[in-house]
Amino acid sequence: MSLLNNSTPATITEQLMLRLKVPTKLRNLEATLIVFAMAVTSAALALVDLGATGQLNPPIIGLSLGLGVIVLAMHVAQRFVARDADPLILPIVTLLNGLGIAMIHRLDLSAGLSGWQANASRQMVWTAIATVVAIVVIVVVRNHRVLQRYRYVWMLTGVVLLVLPLVPFIGVTINGARLWVNLGFVSFQPGEIAKIALALFFAGYLVTARDSLSVMGKKAFGVRWPRTKDLGPILVVWAVAMLVLIFQRDLGTSLLYFGLFLVLMYVATGRAIWFVVGGGLFGLGALIASQFLTYVHGRFAAWLDSFNQVNYEAVGGSYQLVQGLFGFASGGIIGTGLGAGHPGIVPLAESDYIMASLGEELGLVGVFAILALYLLFIARGIRIGVNGSDDFGRLLAIGLTFVIALQVFIVVGGVTRVIPVTGLTTPFLAAGGSSLVANWIIVALLLRLSDTVRHQREEVTGQ
Amino acid sequence: MSELTLFILRFGFLALMWVFVFAIVFALRSDLFGHYTRKNDRAGGDITLNPDAKSSPFMPPAETTAAKVPARMLVITAGAREGLEIPLEGEQLTIGRSAQSGLVIRDEYTSTNHARLQLWNGDWVIQDLGSTNGTFVNNQRVSVPTPVPLNTPVSIGSTIFELRS
Repeated sequence: MSLLNNSTPATITEQLMLRLKVPTKLRNLEATLIVFAMAVTSAALALVDLGATGQLNPPIIGLSLGLGVIVLAMHVAQRFVARDADPLILPIVTLLNGLGIAMIHRLDLSAGLSGWQANASRQMVWTAIATVVAIVVIVVVRNHRVLQRYRYVWMLTGVVLLVLPLVPFIGVTINGARLWVNLGFVSFQPGEIAKIALALFFAGYLVTARDSLSVMGKKAFGVRWPRTKDLGPILVVWAVAMLVLIFQRDLGTSLLYFGLFLVLMYVATGRAIWFVVGGGLFGLGALIASQFLTYVHGRFAAWLDSFNQVNYEAVGGSYQLVQGLFGFASGGIIGTGLGAGHPGIVPLAESDYIMASLGEELGLVGVFAILALYLLFIARGIRIGVNGSDDFGRLLAIGLTFVIALQVFIVVGGVTRVIPVTGLTTPFLAAGGSSLVANWIIVALLLRLSDTVRHQREEVTGQ
Repeated sequence: MSELTLFILRFGFLALMWVFVFAIVFALRSDLFGHYTRKNDRAGGDITLNPDAKSSPFMPPAETTAAKVPARMLVITAGAREGLEIPLEGEQLTIGRSAQSGLVIRDEYTSTNHARLQLWNGDWVIQDLGSTNGTFVNNQRVSVPTPVPLNTPVSIGSTIFELRS
């Protein structure tokens, strides 16, 4: 008990550490905030109906109650198996998921879809599946360090999942990107799950490799360069990212994998030179790709010169991007109000362009609130990483958090024309089953990490 | 429903979203805006003295009849806070990255709960708490609680300190 001093715990992280003194306080805080998030979601659904149809319709009761039941099941599971987990992650994710469902429901109304045809119903079913998977993860994985042992299994899993869409007969090309696998009864994007497998592999690999990677090499041009033989892994990952770019035609996913690896390299070694080398390599690759691959070239042209008539009318041109920007513009500061805009004009408004739909109806104020929620989620994830007591846990928490952070950046950056448009999904908000399942697994792993961190502290300090 | 009511409801919804954001911020306010032991977080390692954690009420009082005079001062001779002198007042001092340690050393090579200095029959004894990179007394890695003589270098991560009388 030597480290548990008598002073009042000042930060929430310290409060979380004093488990013996506050056994259920964290979970009660979580329950309160989940109820709050459910209230906001229900309000959003009600406003959608009032705005679009002028009356409240029965489906919204199912949607809001369904989400509530699902998330509370997760909460109850945590009371049994992860009592010390971070209490803020689940409420944040609940609200993001709920706002997504409300927006998808709103787009269903404008497209005239109802019943099981509606995307919102399917999104709700996928949320249920995703939460069940998350509960299974949090119940089965009791100690994250077990995951480190299987790092090469994760690598293999990741690579197999990545190339799965390229396999003839089961791989499907949708909207020009070959990312889907169709098994007849269900189609999904294996790349979404691959990102978790790769985060697990990178964290496990870098824990053992960090020492040799942080050795200084020769000095040239005023910078200490890494040794040539240490460049191997970064070149391999770069090659994989480039293959994804060329064969699956997906700039976003390749940027996500490569960015994740660079972030973890930097966190593991503390040497910014990896950013310079890796960023340079990726920039070079993307530049060459934009010259020689018509698909990438088209995306770059649509980004740099969106309002050009030629790009606007081209197949796969900037039509969608420009419509999204018009949506943002008509939303203005406080938006048109839920159910009162025309977000349905933008193609794929419920998946890739859900940020534009939300921007139109909730305005800048609403979009910033959503971005603030992502920011808080990411801040919690990094906090879990910083507080971790073993290197694998630290790297894993940072890696998983950055998977979400990079996705948000790539998607929101693409929709707002900061970077070229890519085909990633907005975490938790966008319609899409694979993405929901993958992101809820990330949530479960982060909750597990935040819980085990404190158990280990007790093993060390609780005498 | 009138246009005005709907407008007020919409405005109220935006406010509600922000109330949720600030509820979360409020729940972790001290985490976001800092705490006095975290004030001087800097790159390249940091050392803070945590006055609350220095002595523990659970420890038995040291033998006052011991003939020897225990060291009174811990002096950091190398590392991020070279030259810092810390008076040794209690019966024990915990060292580690954790904010609850008596002496907080933040660098890559220090574990969360790295080591503990303890007054034992008038001698300061250092005990490694299962750290990753080890604790060294006079360049010898410590595996059992080891007495620390005066003016002997003890290294933890990139920090080296000595005890002085």
